[in-house]
Amino acid sequence: MDGMLSEFDDKPAVPPWLIAAAALAMMVHLYLIFVWVPTEATMGIVQRLFYFHVPAAVVQFTACFVGGIAAILYLVKRDNRYDDLSLAANETVVVFGLVNIGMGMLWAKPIWGIWWTWDARLTSSFLLLFLYGAYLVIRPAAPVEHRGMVCAVVCILGMADVPLVYLSNRLFRTQHPSPVLGGGKDSGLAPEMLTTLFFGMFTMMLLWWCVVSVRRRVARLERASADLTRRAHELDDLRRY
Amino acid sequence: MENLSWLFWGYAAGWLLIFGYLFWISAKERTLRKKFSELQEAMEERWKQKKA
Repeated sequence: MDGMLSEFDDKPAVPPWLIAAAALAMMVHLYLIFVWVPTEATMGIVQRLFYFHVPAAVVQFTACFVGGIAAILYLVKRDNRYDDLSLAANETVVVFGLVNIGMGMLWAKPIWGIWWTWDARLTSSFLLLFLYGAYLVIRPAAPVEHRGMVCAVVCILGMADVPLVYLSNRLFRTQHPSPVLGGGKDSGLAPEMLTTLFFGMFTMMLLWWCVVSVRRRVARLERASADLTRRAHELDDLRRY
Repeated sequence: MENLSWLFWGYAAGWLLIFGYLFWISAKERTLRKKFSELQEAMEERWKQKKA
């Protein structure tokens, strides 16, 4: 058993260069948002929430796909590493989903005059968040031997919901603003706004990968700890008979 | 500078959620590592007793 814990000590969950890159990118992103990018003419300063709200949504969708693909790989190969990755990604779906919806609400109140409306984009985003919230509730409640499989099915369903959220303001008339990227001839952004938005997506993606890497290692540690507890109980049983 | 407070609270909430989550998983890792070490020590002790 010597050195069982040392497998988690060999190297950091996130390489230092990645942490440094993410921290630097966050500072540059903040500079772009608050100093460099011009203020939008109609909405004013509150439009700057967009540079955090949209990257959070992009990361949320990416996390859904990473979690879903990892779940499919788990179902095919039955390798726990995929289940750990899926759990880590799916938990971040909830975190970045809350950031996305929360910032959207804080933008909506001064612009629309209301916090929330049940239009297609907002409702489908809420359902996506609700589905992944259910995943986190189901996971500890499911029997250990079927946990990976049950959770894989739930998050594959979640992944299938992402295109519906993405297309909701293209397919239906919504109160949510129409797409600014690829939304037709009237859509588009000023070059500075586009640069800030894409840099925000890059920054958020770096930050997300750092978070997922740490969460993955915690998931491995949880699994190893549960395994050791089970072996300790078995040893106790052996001693009893 | 109209709506500055909405901007402030928006970013504050966003960063708080992300860093709050990071803090939570770090705390969870520390707890698990402690539990893991204690379990390992207990198991080693039991193996020694069994051998004896």
